Amino acid sequence: MSSAEDRDDGSSRRALAALEAARPVWTGRHWAIGIALLVFYAVCWQLANVDLAKLATGLPKLGYWIASAWPPALAEMPIFLHRTAETIAMAALGTTGAVVLALPMAVLAARNITPWPRLVGPVRVVLNALRGIDSFVFALLFVAAVGLGPFAGVLGIMLHTWGSAAKNFADHIENINLEPYEAVRSTGAGRFSAIAYAVLPDVLPVTLSMALFWWEFNVRASTVLGVVGAGGIGQELKASMDLLDFPRLFTIIALIVVVVTLIDKFSGWLRRRLI
Amino acid sequence: MSGGATAAQVESPVLELDGVGKRFGDHTVLDDVSLTVQRGEFVALLGPSGAGKTTLIRCMTGMLKPDAGHIRVCGVDMANLHGRERRRVAVVFQQFNLVRRLSALDNVLAGRLGYVAPWRGWVRQFDRADRLLALECLDRVGLLRHAAQRADTLSGGQQQRVALARALAQRAEVIVADEPVASLDPAISAGILDLLRGICEEDGVTVVCSLHQLHLAQSYARRLIGLADGRVQFDCRAEDVNESATRTLYQRNPQAA
Repeated sequence: MSSAEDRDDGSSRRALAALEAARPVWTGRHWAIGIALLVFYAVCWQLANVDLAKLATGLPKLGYWIASAWPPALAEMPIFLHRTAETIAMAALGTTGAVVLALPMAVLAARNITPWPRLVGPVRVVLNALRGIDSFVFALLFVAAVGLGPFAGVLGIMLHTWGSAAKNFADHIENINLEPYEAVRSTGAGRFSAIAYAVLPDVLPVTLSMALFWWEFNVRASTVLGVVGAGGIGQELKASMDLLDFPRLFTIIALIVVVVTLIDKFSGWLRRRLI
Repeated sequence: MSGGATAAQVESPVLELDGVGKRFGDHTVLDDVSLTVQRGEFVALLGPSGAGKTTLIRCMTGMLKPDAGHIRVCGVDMANLHGRERRRVAVVFQQFNLVRRLSALDNVLAGRLGYVAPWRGWVRQFDRADRLLALECLDRVGLLRHAAQRADTLSGGQQQRVALARALAQRAEVIVADEPVASLDPAISAGILDLLRGICEEDGVTVVCSLHQLHLAQSYARRLIGLADGRVQFDCRAEDVNESATRTLYQRNPQAA
């Protein structure tokens, strides 16, 4: 400390003063950016039909609904639990199917280990398309194709998660250390043997952890799939809203919150143990 | 001895480099490198950083294709040494390059991947004979006790021993080692080089090993090859290397090229 004080001949103070003097001034560019942002939000406000007056009249309505939701509709709990189990099962099957499909696609989409570098671009385009279409939209299509019920939901979740998970995995593979892979290749191992031997052990724990994350995400996302007729608790939610049965509606919402929280905790605990 | 000499004359050399050249962009890294290594030799490759040692080693392992010249392994052109045939050249790396999350034994078993059916590699299942061989190789490097231990829990010296066991399990004609002791302390380095020399002398496996310490090279190798600016500066028996030759080797400025 003392030596620092000895050396203090005011140069630090001068440096600080210089920094303070160099405070940014508002240039033309700053003004332009500021105005552009203002215009952007004004347009968004217009497009979104924001109407605070409607909110003011609507809020008391919401309050009345909540008040009339008591006592909760516990009598129908067995049905709700069954539907919730359906939602969790849809998410589990869809996610598992997606992860199984995503692993080979990730190898094809990873520039560093793909057997066919020319395919990386097209594969990534397909994955981005799958990722860009929400499971809700896929479910809508599959309800039309395979009929109402959770199976349409499973297919919807699977297709969307396939794209997202494969892109995740591929990005992870592109960042791993390839030296053990090269070493295994130099023993005379084939490309796929070497990938299974030297790349998978590194990628697998992260893959499992990401799979859990996607499952957790899909449980949350698939609560709404029932709205388009793709099964699960969302179906009961939609029916209650249509009938304006508020005790039923809020019981279902409370149940969703509890289940989603429990699954988040469980999956988080499992993921911490994996890595 | 004379019988061995005639046998060596009949069979082709284990490693044969003929006018090997390699450029990276405008920079010539290897320039007309020719050398021949006979069965059972222990050759040390010396040279300052940037001399082209690693590039030459990578060409010898088939990881890099030379732009000019030919490399032959037991008479077979390296360009035709694809897939399983690569098992003839075992590689030992400076950073060991083990699969960190696999056991020592599984890492040694990787040396058998050039022999077994591909599905065995996919599911990591080997038959009894291969597992026994792998354990014998681990025993040879003194790590039998650690067979089930994960590679990333082993010390650096132990990891390099596992890498040597992997090369042994590969039953290769030649072990090419790229600075195998550069990341290890002196006592452990000596242990690794002792093992390499033992494998060379007892199993008749040819060893080509790049080193940057002259005294290590002189005490372990029977033949030294000095590389600078991508060219062979000297190639002679270890005891014939004189001080002026090594001084000129290390005084060259690699940036000048």
